[in-house]
Amino acid sequence: MGNAQGTSTSDPDLVPQVADRRDGGSSKDESFTRDALPWMEDVYRFAHSLTHETADAQDIVQETYLRAFRSWHTFEPGSDCRRWLFTICRNAFLRSRQRTRLEVEVTDADADAIAGAREHGAMIADGTDRLLATLDLGPALDRAVAGLDAPFRAAVILVDVEDQSYEAAAQILGVPIGTVRSRLFRARRQLQQQLREYARDAGLDPSAGPGQERGDA
Amino acid sequence: MPDGIREIECLATVRLLWDYLDSELDETRMREVEHHLAACQACLPHAVFGQRLLDALHAIRDRHAMPPTVRAEVVAALRAAGYSRGP
Repeated sequence: MGNAQGTSTSDPDLVPQVADRRDGGSSKDESFTRDALPWMEDVYRFAHSLTHETADAQDIVQETYLRAFRSWHTFEPGSDCRRWLFTICRNAFLRSRQRTRLEVEVTDADADAIAGAREHGAMIADGTDRLLATLDLGPALDRAVAGLDAPFRAAVILVDVEDQSYEAAAQILGVPIGTVRSRLFRARRQLQQQLREYARDAGLDPSAGPGQERGDA
Repeated sequence: MPDGIREIECLATVRLLWDYLDSELDETRMREVEHHLAACQACLPHAVFGQRLLDALHAIRDRHAMPPTVRAEVVAALRAAGYSRGP
């Protein structure tokens, strides 16, 4: 995984928000259509991970694209347009929240990785691991991801859903790589715990063995 | 032991597991974790479960579609700002 592409060296929020017509509006529109518009679904998913509200996400996507269009002259052709858009999206979100910071206490990523393995060990011991292997994790994960705090959810969406490297996610979120790593590992540990609960709530009794519902004789 | 890599313990493997599954380790570290997992029946299930979790997370892409009206609304806003094309 990881994204080997480079990215624009310009911070779109540090330049004047004016349209650049030096190469003609037609050329600008053409390159914007080709390079920026195809990522709208991805930007929407990221915006939704930040806002948690469909209407707010739509507003953020629109703001992102308007800012991207006005700053298109700062985008470096051939660099990673999606990463550039994610960065603008994150800044648009912060602006909409009056500079609410996407920051939480930095956790110990290694401790979370080890705790996650221990949690999985417990799942193997109580049978929930085998039970989960028989279930569609999608619905449970949707709820579990939605329940994550926004900074953790943003890290999961960028790295696990949008295939961004730790380094790219750190750049987009404006935090150190270690912070992305710790948020990611903490989030995955929480998701793992939610999946274990899901197996129990699905009416499956681990002690009865895989595939047997509670109450079966 | 293959050339150029060290034997690593279970604890080190678990600590590196997410980085390994995310391909965030350097080549030597990747090979060390890979080598340990190939030989360790205690650690391998953690890797298999972790990969399944990541695969299921990645599938969120297919379930969280953008509402169909958003694209048209964004393009309309862009046109008001001077954009002259349509997707």
